[in-house]
Amino acid sequence: MSYAEPSRKRRWLAGVGVLVVAALSAVELFFPASPVAEIVNIIDANYIRSVLRLTVPIAFAALGGIFAEKSGVINIGLEGLLIISAFTSIAVAGVISGGTPTQFQLWIGFAVAVLASVLFALLFAVICIEFKADQIIAGLAVWLIALGLAPFASKVIWGQVNSPPVATLNNFDLLVVEANPPVVMMLVSVPAAWYALNRTSFGRWIEASGENPKALDTVGVDVRKVRYAGVLLSGFFSGLGGAGLALGRVGQFIGGGATMVNGRGWIGITAYLFGNYNPLGAFGASFLFASLDALQIRLQQLGYNIPSELIGIIPYVTVVVVLAFVGRTRIPSAAGDHYESGEE
Amino acid sequence: MSDRGPDDEADPNPDDSWQGRADRALERLVDASAVERILISLAALVLSVVVGALIILVSGWVATCQSPFFSASGVGSFCYDPISVYYVLFKGAVWPPYNVAITLKETTLLLFTGLSVAVAFRAGMFNIGTQGQLVLGALGTALAVLWVAPVVPAGVVGGLILIAVGLLVGALVGGLWGAIPGALKAYADANEVITTIMLNFVASGIAFTLVSEVFKDPESQTVQTRAIPGFAQLQPVFFDTTVFSMLALVGALALGGGIYWMLNGTSFGYDLRTSGVQPEAAEYGGVDSEKMMVSSMALSGALGGLGGAVYVLMVASRWRTGIPSLGFDGITVSILAGNNPLGVVPAALLFGALKTGSLAIEFQLSVPKQLVGVLRGLIILFIAMPEFFRMVGARFRFGDDRPSVATDGGAETTDGSDADDHGGDDR
Repeated sequence: MSYAEPSRKRRWLAGVGVLVVAALSAVELFFPASPVAEIVNIIDANYIRSVLRLTVPIAFAALGGIFAEKSGVINIGLEGLLIISAFTSIAVAGVISGGTPTQFQLWIGFAVAVLASVLFALLFAVICIEFKADQIIAGLAVWLIALGLAPFASKVIWGQVNSPPVATLNNFDLLVVEANPPVVMMLVSVPAAWYALNRTSFGRWIEASGENPKALDTVGVDVRKVRYAGVLLSGFFSGLGGAGLALGRVGQFIGGGATMVNGRGWIGITAYLFGNYNPLGAFGASFLFASLDALQIRLQQLGYNIPSELIGIIPYVTVVVVLAFVGRTRIPSAAGDHYESGEE
Repeated sequence: MSDRGPDDEADPNPDDSWQGRADRALERLVDASAVERILISLAALVLSVVVGALIILVSGWVATCQSPFFSASGVGSFCYDPISVYYVLFKGAVWPPYNVAITLKETTLLLFTGLSVAVAFRAGMFNIGTQGQLVLGALGTALAVLWVAPVVPAGVVGGLILIAVGLLVGALVGGLWGAIPGALKAYADANEVITTIMLNFVASGIAFTLVSEVFKDPESQTVQTRAIPGFAQLQPVFFDTTVFSMLALVGALALGGGIYWMLNGTSFGYDLRTSGVQPEAAEYGGVDSEKMMVSSMALSGALGGLGGAVYVLMVASRWRTGIPSLGFDGITVSILAGNNPLGVVPAALLFGALKTGSLAIEFQLSVPKQLVGVLRGLIILFIAMPEFFRMVGARFRFGDDRPSVATDGGAETTDGSDADDHGGDDR
């Protein structure tokens, strides 16, 4: 299979997306009374705002995944990192305040959550880089540990797997619009990540560490350090995503079933594969998945007689379809491999 | 097997995909020699117990309780004593005697899901979707039995027919659901790790919707189907309980033996294993790798579906929400067992015991039962890093003079290069 093929498919798929949007707009324009138009009517500024909030965990997981995998370490534990930071943010804010955190205490919770996620990523990095663990299985373990640990700790702290609700982070005025802090962080991080990867020497090291670690070693850059940086960044971004989900939108930790993160880390992985490791493309894909999620929430609010569980699977079905369509992506050629400096 | 130098590092190899990497990772696990596998599994268990004890201590320090087992001024009080937690965990698995039946019930179900994951692993596929295959298989079984029940005579004969129908439909539905990610990987190159996880979410959504909209028990508030008739349930033989049948355990053990024979004694099994370990060699040998991916995933899904069928026929006697995460536990069981169908038996027994014991620690010591979920993750984590144990072993001179061949697909070279990641099959 040639490498050009996925990219062509991707463009094709994007084209289909544009066509669908155009068709829906036409329906709304010409048949304002049809049910389709009613659905299209959902799309307004409020809808976009809610989509952006839903994009936060997916896009941050995707950004993190890009840095880790580009540096040569496949991190499929992103879902687990989101769970850890979502839990930590609520737990810390709740415990230091005794139940009703102030805005300042919420921000402390946010910061500690990011730190917790980075520490977990550090553990994953040590296991993968020093002990040459199998990255896929270690990533799976990170997810399963988080899936057990967060509800376990919830029960220790609150006596049940769900936390009591807390306040969410206040919006602040940004020029003329009210801005949600995690959304703003995301809108800043995406271009910043793009810039870092494409226009800085750090970005070139990350690229080389995943594509040709030997060459990087030859020019005197420590491949191990670059890979640590990549994995720690995946922890940092996932931390922002998980805390952003918990403190920016939900205001509670929900530990039942697949937890409140509910597969968004996995969707994030698909988003960056679909976005071909480009932060901008990954953000676009995350936005697409989030808009489907927002659509199903809106349809439920409008009282459409469609069972919510059925609409709830739309994003997951879309991921499968997209993955089937994009198929194999061009991953960094040394990703998944261990590298030891100075060995021939 | 390989005389290629480290220069291959920069080679834009067509197989340098997620899948290619995962395949080679799998192969390293699959190829480990039996003794080393067992040692690594045991070491991983011991380490998980140690780390788990630390987690118990810390969480006991966080928790508040009436009578801490240990407290010191300046440090705080510790509510949970790790030793008594582990003691209750293991004692709770066998005492009172009724708990033996509960442990064996869990073991039986985990045998199916463990075998399901192991078969896929052997064929070079990560099946994380056993849970979804089990959920839909269970639904298929419940509906089929309810549908056929009115036309068969109540009694032993009718029961046998219903059980046979239920098992068949469960395996069929699970197999079809498992074949989807297999086909997506074979014909569209879609990564099965992600598709199977996504299909888990889709499966539970579909099952929930079908039951709540169409097949709901009208007399019940919760989302569940009507109960299957009593004579269609798997009958207990030794234990007087409604949740465990010796027949199911014997059947599951026989199935494990059958899978072992299938993998090691039949040409299909040989093709399956070669396409898992050396896909290119298998292709040269005339194996249709696409077909092999689909059929091995279908077989894996069928085993997951059988697990769902047994869950309905033995435990729940209906489809209901909140089916336990047997599929995810199956991943641990299989990895702990080195993906060997015979190794799955002790691994399933261990996890069955842990599951039962977790209820005891929650009931007797108020330690949350999710602790077992943490241990599950830790075990996988430690098994993922055989290198760690080898380093520890080398430091303490556990006779590790020979080159560590086994876990690296036999490609470890004496000059110590990282050739282990080019395990000789990637082209």
